Amino acid sequence: MSTSSGTADTAIINAAALQAAAMPPEHQIAQMLGLCESQLESAQHESDQSVDTLVQAFTSMAEITRNIGAQAAALPVERGSAEGAELQAQLAKLSQQMAAAVVAFQFYDKFTQRLGHVRYSLSALALFVCNPAQVQQPEQWAKLHSTLRRLYRTQAEREVFQMVMDGSESATENTSVALRGPAATGDIELF
Amino acid sequence: MSAAPQQTILAVDDSASMRQMVRFTLEGAGYKVVQAADGVEALELARNGPVDLVLTDVNMPRMDGIALVRELRSLDSYKFVPMLVLTTESGQETKMRGKQAGATGWIVKPFNPEQLLATIGRVL
Repeated sequence: MSTSSGTADTAIINAAALQAAAMPPEHQIAQMLGLCESQLESAQHESDQSVDTLVQAFTSMAEITRNIGAQAAALPVERGSAEGAELQAQLAKLSQQMAAAVVAFQFYDKFTQRLGHVRYSLSALALFVCNPAQVQQPEQWAKLHSTLRRLYRTQAEREVFQMVMDGSESATENTSVALRGPAATGDIELF
Repeated sequence: MSAAPQQTILAVDDSASMRQMVRFTLEGAGYKVVQAADGVEALELARNGPVDLVLTDVNMPRMDGIALVRELRSLDSYKFVPMLVLTTESGQETKMRGKQAGATGWIVKPFNPEQLLATIGRVL
C-alpha cells in the first residue's frame, strides 16, 4: 500500500469515527451491540459447519465400527477364539469412547443454545436503548429483565442471572464459575 | 442392549447434531428411528404412522415439545404411548408443565447413551 492511499484510508476511518461519535449515545451503544451480535452469529455459523462435518464423520466411523463388531461376532468359533476375543475387547473400548463422544457432541448443542440466547439478549438490549423514553422507565427495565430471564434454562443460570441483576459485587466472577459447571450428564425423572 | 424388532421411535429436535446423536444411539440398539425438526413436523409424522415412543426436545420453532405432547395425547392412538422429554430445561416449573401435558418422563441434556436406552427400555 502506498503512503498516499494509507493517508487517505486513515482520513476515511477518522471521518467515520467522528461521524459515529456525533451520533446520540444510545445509537452508538445499539450499533456496538449490533456489531457484537453479528460477530457471534458469524462465529456460530462457521462453527456449525465444522461441527456438522465432525458429526457426519463420527457417525460414519461409528457405523463402520459397529459393522466390524458384527462381523467379528459372526466369526466361526475355531477362528474366533484368541484373536476374536482380543478384537471384541478392542471394540468394547471403542464403544465406550463413542458413548463419551455422543455426550461431548451434546455440549456443543448446549453451547450454541446459550450463544443464541446471548445474541437475542444483545439484540433486545440494542432495541431497548434506542428508545430514550423507555430507558427512563423502571417498569420497562423490569419487563426487559423478565423477558431475558426466561432465556436462562437451568437453575444455576437463573441464580446467576438474579445475582447479576441484584448487583452483587462478585457477580461477574461467580457467573463464569457457576455457569462452567461440571461436565456431567443430565438427570432423568419418570413421572 | 437390543430392542424388540420393528419398535419405532419418533425423535424430535431442532438441532441436527442432536438428532444425529439420538439416531445413532437408538439405531445402535436396534430401534427404528423417524426424525422431526419441530412439533408440527412430528405431529404430522405421528398422524401418518404409529410410533412406539416419542422422544422430544422442548424449545423448538413452530410447536414446542410440551405442546406436541399435549396434541398427541389428545389423539386416541397416542393416549398410552410413552413420551419422553429430552431437554436442557431443568426448572421444576417447565417440568411440571410437561407432566401436566402428559409426558412420561423428563431427561435433562446431555444424555448418557446407556442411561437413555435403559430409560426407554423401562417405559416401552
